[in-house]
Amino acid sequence: MMRVVGFIALLCVSVLALASIWFHGHVAIVPVLEPSLLRLDFAVTPLAIPFLALLALVLPGVAIWNLARGRGADGVVLALFAVSMLCVLVAQSVAAFVLAWEVMSLVSTFLVATMHEKRAVQRAVLSYVLISQLGVLCITTALAILALHAQSYEFAGITAHALSLSPLAKNVVLTLGLVGFGSKAGLMPLQFWLPRAHPAAPAAASALLSGIMLKVAIYGVLVLVLQFVAPVPVAWSIGLLCIGLITTMGGALYASVENDIKRILAYSSIENMGIIISGIGFVLLALAFNQSFIATIALLAVLFHALNHGLFKSLLFLGAGTIAQTAGATDLRHLGGLLRILPATGVAVLVGCMAASALPPLNGFVSEWLLFASFLHALLVAPLMMQAFAAVAIAAVALGSGLAAAAYSKLFGIAMLGERRELRDPHLPTTADLSWLGLTWLGAGCLLIGIIPTLALHPLMQIVTGMLVPSGPIIIPMPPLALGVLPLLGVLLAIIIVRVRGVRRVPTWTCGSPVTFRAQTTATSFANPILVIFASLLRPQRTLTVSVVAWFPERIEYETRLRYLIDETARNGAALVQTIARRLRIVQGGRLRVYLAYALVAVLIMLAIAR
Amino acid sequence: MMLVTQFVLGVLLAPLLQGAMKSMRARLSGRPGPSVMQPYRDLRKLMSKEALAPMHASWIFLLAPGLLVGVSTTVLWLAPSLVALPLVLPDAVAIALTLALGRFILVLAALDSRSGFEGMAASREMTFAALTEAPMILALASAGLGNSTPIGGALAAVALVIVMLAETARIPIDNQETHYELTMIHEGMVLEYSGWQLALTQMAAYIRQIAFFALVALLLPGDGLMPFAWMLALAMIIPMIERALAKLRLFEVPQLFTTATLLALASIGLRIVGVISW
Repeated sequence: MMRVVGFIALLCVSVLALASIWFHGHVAIVPVLEPSLLRLDFAVTPLAIPFLALLALVLPGVAIWNLARGRGADGVVLALFAVSMLCVLVAQSVAAFVLAWEVMSLVSTFLVATMHEKRAVQRAVLSYVLISQLGVLCITTALAILALHAQSYEFAGITAHALSLSPLAKNVVLTLGLVGFGSKAGLMPLQFWLPRAHPAAPAAASALLSGIMLKVAIYGVLVLVLQFVAPVPVAWSIGLLCIGLITTMGGALYASVENDIKRILAYSSIENMGIIISGIGFVLLALAFNQSFIATIALLAVLFHALNHGLFKSLLFLGAGTIAQTAGATDLRHLGGLLRILPATGVAVLVGCMAASALPPLNGFVSEWLLFASFLHALLVAPLMMQAFAAVAIAAVALGSGLAAAAYSKLFGIAMLGERRELRDPHLPTTADLSWLGLTWLGAGCLLIGIIPTLALHPLMQIVTGMLVPSGPIIIPMPPLALGVLPLLGVLLAIIIVRVRGVRRVPTWTCGSPVTFRAQTTATSFANPILVIFASLLRPQRTLTVSVVAWFPERIEYETRLRYLIDETARNGAALVQTIARRLRIVQGGRLRVYLAYALVAVLIMLAIAR
Repeated sequence: MMLVTQFVLGVLLAPLLQGAMKSMRARLSGRPGPSVMQPYRDLRKLMSKEALAPMHASWIFLLAPGLLVGVSTTVLWLAPSLVALPLVLPDAVAIALTLALGRFILVLAALDSRSGFEGMAASREMTFAALTEAPMILALASAGLGNSTPIGGALAAVALVIVMLAETARIPIDNQETHYELTMIHEGMVLEYSGWQLALTQMAAYIRQIAFFALVALLLPGDGLMPFAWMLALAMIIPMIERALAKLRLFEVPQLFTTATLLALASIGLRIVGVISW
């Protein structure tokens, strides 16, 4: 019963998001008493439209999956979460934005804490709460500075006063804003919470967290740099580009050596946020150098990639949920051969993996291609400094997408193909359910806008040209048509020959020894070359214990742990904060008298100040 | 029309190029070697044989060879050097990512076969591919930009040749003629293919090879018939490289790719600097 309510609620939010795209009015909730600080304004700006469309597209898929496989009351909380994200996207005043952002953070914390009995989940929730509160603090301060400067609490007023912002205020606002939004988006070095929190939530919640909430953070960055503090100083655009590129490479590298499906997906989200942020950095760089064509194409790529990542990542998280329920594990070391059990889900997950690896003819390919196109165009016409950054960006994004392809070929190849890798209980009995329909909805979206990208690119182009006002008419570059056609013909050829000639089934060749599932490559061994090559960054630690009984090894234990360089640094910082907090705990005595004394002292201090 | 002609010629002559290089390599080793037409005979023989597939292998294993042919022909189609058409810039990325598509599916097919050898080869292939993507796109971009200096073009060509050695499974990165499963990369991934399926994967590899030759020729100076001359020269040079060098240790290969990336960056850098000083 609760499931159906959740299903309907999610669909309603989807319809609401879709309807709001065509809503042109302005809703203001003004408090009876002044101050106007508390007024809540809502309106749909062009920049919010792609994100609202993403929300509307993803929610039906999540709703269907949750109806078939989710837990009872999850759907209602998910709908609330979706509404809060919708509110962030349409908020047009400081109070409305902060309120919606805080609600979004809180509801998502509840979602992450769903399985709070587990120790790992508790830790994940703690680090998530910490980082989101830090984020809210930074964002609120940044918005307060802007509002004080503009003497207006409405976003339109803040934008109007952007030009008169002093360099110092600009730098402060940018720092605070990027820490606030960047930590939510999982930019390095503030990414450590993401691979713990996103996988801890139930699959449908992870899908919304990774698929949409990260995009809401990107929306925040875009509003900040394109409206509130525009034009952004060149140094900041370069900084943003560099942070984005490091995040791209780091996220992809971590994803490629990870063994847990949901953590691979979380790291891959970090990689994609890196791609998007480096794109935004490049847009700003191009704007600073008056290259309106490059800026337009890069912003188009950024918005399109945000949309695409939302689609394929929510699809993949839902797929991971189906895998977890079918096989009882998300650790690749226990999985294998699931394509036979989950044929429809498997195809959808394959589409998602290929889109995430930026392979043609899927949507992820088109948006990465567009981003590369803007980099390459900069090599042709832009000033020399920009050319140099473009060349570096090409190399970094190429390395990132190559590593991402390694991660996703591992994910799909190990989990879905071959044979199960561990003798555990047989797969749980699968009842025919409709969860695959939700995945197929999202997969069909990936395929459709991959094959006919103009469906998404034309509306996006209108928004982008409205915001950047390029000097002349711009033709959107399109990937060559042969990309889709010839591989498809090749597959058709193979289907025909298989049909006509057939194949004879024989055991796998294992040099004459018996065929066993143990001969298969494992996830750890698949990723091992990458681990060895990047050992200085990943810092693997191995422990090997061999207990020998009467000349023969009785038992061999082998363990590999990774101590990521960046995570380690962040953890040291967190430990410092914890130490300080422990010292300050004395203040919290837990006695009512003490607290009353605190209140008295506070009142006295306030009186002293106000006097 | 020219484009279609060169495309058809490329597909038809791809096995001949392989035969010529194989025969050249044998001569250099002091063996008489097979006839240059041998790949055609092999393909005909394999096409007429039945295909075997591992028990329980999925449709991905069955359809991968066809997709590979499609991918290789796409790359050949996008490499327009023979009629001296300039490479459209973003096509560099399209070429690299299309190759990635073929590789992705072949790696999945290898993991689907449940053979330990294939999985190992697949893992190496994906690792190396991650490292060759950047030099490939940068070198091809350098081609598309048009080289202001011959040195820049040559640097990019060297970078692309290194990438090509990896993509076409040649010494010092891989060895096409090895019969030792543990050292194979590309050949390792297709161990379970036989009959007409093997013929398709071989054909795809030949077409990919001729496409790469065309792309390298594009980076070198000259037009008209010069690209053909460059391709012939490459067909002579690469067997010599294979004869002169030994296979690198697995974990020394990444250094080669780093070199290629730096060369490709230097080629673009020379172009940037070139604007100032020349």
